[in-house]
Amino acid sequence: MTAAAPAQRAGKHGRTGERQEALAGYAFIAIPMLLFLVLNIGTTLFAFYISLWDWNYRLGPQELIGLANFEKLLGDRLFHTAIRNTAYYTVIWVPLTMAVGLFLAVIVNQKIRGQTFFRAAFYFPAIASSAAITVLWIFLLQPDGLFNEVRGAIGLNPLYEAMGFGPNHNWFGNSGTAMNSVIILNAWTTSGTFMLFYLASLQSISHEVYEAAAIDGAGPWQAFWKVTFPLLKPGHFFVATVGVIGGLQLFDQALIGGGSNGDPQYALMTVVLYLYNAAFSQFNPGYAASIGVVLFFVILVISLIQRRLFGNTQAA
Amino acid sequence: MRNAPPPNPPGEPPDQPLGNVTVGAEGQGSEVAVVSQLPARAAPPPAVAGPVGDRTRGLRRTIAYVLIISYALLMFVPFAWTVITSFKTRPDALRLTIIPDPFTTAPWQFAVDTLDPGIITLFTNSVILAGIVTISNLVLGSLGGYAFARLRFPGREILFLVVLATLMIPDQLRLVPLYVMYTELGLTRGLAQYLGLILVLAISATSIFLLRQYFLSIPKDLEEAARIDGAGFFTTFRKVMLPLASPALAAVAILQFQGTWNAFFWPVILLRDRDHWTIPMSLYLFRESGGLVTNWPPLMAVIVIATIPILVLYIFFQRFFVEGVAASGVKG
Repeated sequence: MTAAAPAQRAGKHGRTGERQEALAGYAFIAIPMLLFLVLNIGTTLFAFYISLWDWNYRLGPQELIGLANFEKLLGDRLFHTAIRNTAYYTVIWVPLTMAVGLFLAVIVNQKIRGQTFFRAAFYFPAIASSAAITVLWIFLLQPDGLFNEVRGAIGLNPLYEAMGFGPNHNWFGNSGTAMNSVIILNAWTTSGTFMLFYLASLQSISHEVYEAAAIDGAGPWQAFWKVTFPLLKPGHFFVATVGVIGGLQLFDQALIGGGSNGDPQYALMTVVLYLYNAAFSQFNPGYAASIGVVLFFVILVISLIQRRLFGNTQAA
Repeated sequence: MRNAPPPNPPGEPPDQPLGNVTVGAEGQGSEVAVVSQLPARAAPPPAVAGPVGDRTRGLRRTIAYVLIISYALLMFVPFAWTVITSFKTRPDALRLTIIPDPFTTAPWQFAVDTLDPGIITLFTNSVILAGIVTISNLVLGSLGGYAFARLRFPGREILFLVVLATLMIPDQLRLVPLYVMYTELGLTRGLAQYLGLILVLAISATSIFLLRQYFLSIPKDLEEAARIDGAGFFTTFRKVMLPLASPALAAVAILQFQGTWNAFFWPVILLRDRDHWTIPMSLYLFRESGGLVTNWPPLMAVIVIATIPILVLYIFFQRFFVEGVAASGVKG
C-alpha cells in the first residue's frame, strides 16, 4: 500500500506530461497540416465537385450536369489524340530510358576509372530546369541548328535522306518527328536519374550470387542476363512505375515546344496539356477538372498495383 | 514532378541514417559519394572473369570506355553550345564554329536592357521565390518531421498517412480548383500572386518525410537528458535535435531550392503579371510572344543564367542532390 502512492503520483504526473506532449505535437504540425488539408485534400475534393458542374470562372457554378463532362470526354476527338500521344510517349520513353539507365548503372557499378565523374556526369542534365532544357533542344534541333549541321559535317546526311529526312529537317516543327524529339530529349535528361535508381537496386544484389555464377562458368554477358537482370525485378518495377506516372504527366516540354495546342498539328497535345487547354484556352473549368479526375484515377491504380506487388522491396 | 510516390514505404525507418553520406562500400573511398545514400552493404560485383581470354576482355573494356566517354560528352555538349552561342552574333549563332566570330557580349546586353522583364528582374524574382520556399520547407518540414517521429499524440499515424497521401495527388488535378479558389480570394492579382504560389510550395510531404526518417534514426538519449533538465518540447527540438539533423536539412534545402528554382507548372499558372515572372517561365513566354523565336543568342544567355546557380550547387553539394532523387522520384 505504501508502494502504491508514489506509483500513483508518477501516473498522474505522466498524464499531464502526455497531455503536454500531445499539445506540443499538434502545435508542431498545425501549419503544415492546415496547408495540406486546404491545398491538397480540399482542392482534390473540390476538383471532383467542379467536374460535375458547368462552371464559369467569373460567375461560379452554372448548372449541375452530373457526368456530362465525362461523357463529353468520351466523344472528344482532341482528347483521344491527347491520349494517343501520351500513350505513345510513355510506351517508347519509359523502356528506352530504362534501358539506357540500366546500361549506365551496370557500367558505373564496375570498378572503372573516373567512376565518380561518370556518375556525376550522367546525372548532370537532370539538374537543369525543363524549360531551359527544352528551349535549348529546340535550338539544337531547328532546321539550321547544331544537330543538322553536325550530321551534315560528318557525312550522315545520306542515311537520314534514306529515312526521308532532308538536310534541314525541322525536328520539333514537323508533326511526324516532334514527339520523337521530346522522347529523345527526356530520355537524355532522365537516364541519369534512372541510373541512380538502378544503382540502388544493383547494390542490393549479394556478391555471392556472382561468385556462384562465375563458378558455374557464366561469362559476364550470361551473368548479366541470367543473374543480374532477373534479380533486378523489383527495381525494374519501381523504375517503370515512376516512369509511367511521370510519362502520363508530360506537360512542360509539350507546352514549350508546341504552345497550348501542342503544335504542329496537335502532335504534342498530351492529356495534361489538354487539361491546361480546357482550363485556359476553352475557359471550361468543369471540363478541365474532369480530365484531372480521370488522370487521378489512372495514376492511383498504377501506384496501387505497384504497392501491391512490391510494397516493401523498392529500389531506392 | 514534385508528386512522385515516396520511394520508401511509409513508416519504415531507413536502414542507415541519411547523414552518413560519406560512408560507402569499403575500399572505394570517396568514389561512392555520389550514391552514398545507398545502403553500404554490398560492394559492386568485381568484373567476373569468364572463360573468355584476356584479349577480348581488354577490348570490351576499351569499347565500354569509348561508349561512356561519348555519352558523358553528350551530357555536356548542349550546355557548352549554349554558353558559346550566348557570345555570338545572330548570323554566327547558326554556324558550326566553336569560337564566336566576332566575340560579342551584345546578347547579354540585350538580355539585360531589352528583354521585358530583363534578366536581372527575372533572376531576383527566382532567387526570392526559391529562397522563401526553401526556408519555409525547412521550418515547417522539421517541425512536422520531428512531431511525427518523436512526439506522441492521438491521431498521429492517421495524420501522417494523410501527409503521405498528398504525394499520390497529381498537381494537375489541383490546377482548376486552386485557380478558382485563388481567383475568389484575390490571390491572382498583384503581389498576392507570389503569396498564392508560395502557399502551394510552402511545404511538401517529401520534406516532412525525409526529416521524419532522419529524426527516427537519432538516438533518444540526448533528447531525454534535455527533457530531464527541464527543457520544454520546443527548446529540446530547437537546441538539441535540430543541430543534429543538419545533414537532412541540407538535403531538403538543396532539393527544395532546385525544385523551386526550376519550377514551371505552378508559376506558369499562378503568376499572371510580367513583372513577377521567374526565369523558367520567361523562357517559354519569350519564345511564345516575345519575338525571340529566331533571336537565339539572348535566349541562350537566359538559359545560362537559369542553369548557373543550380550548376554551382551541384558542383559543391552533389551528394545531397542524389539523396533528393531517392526521396522525390523523377522529374516529369
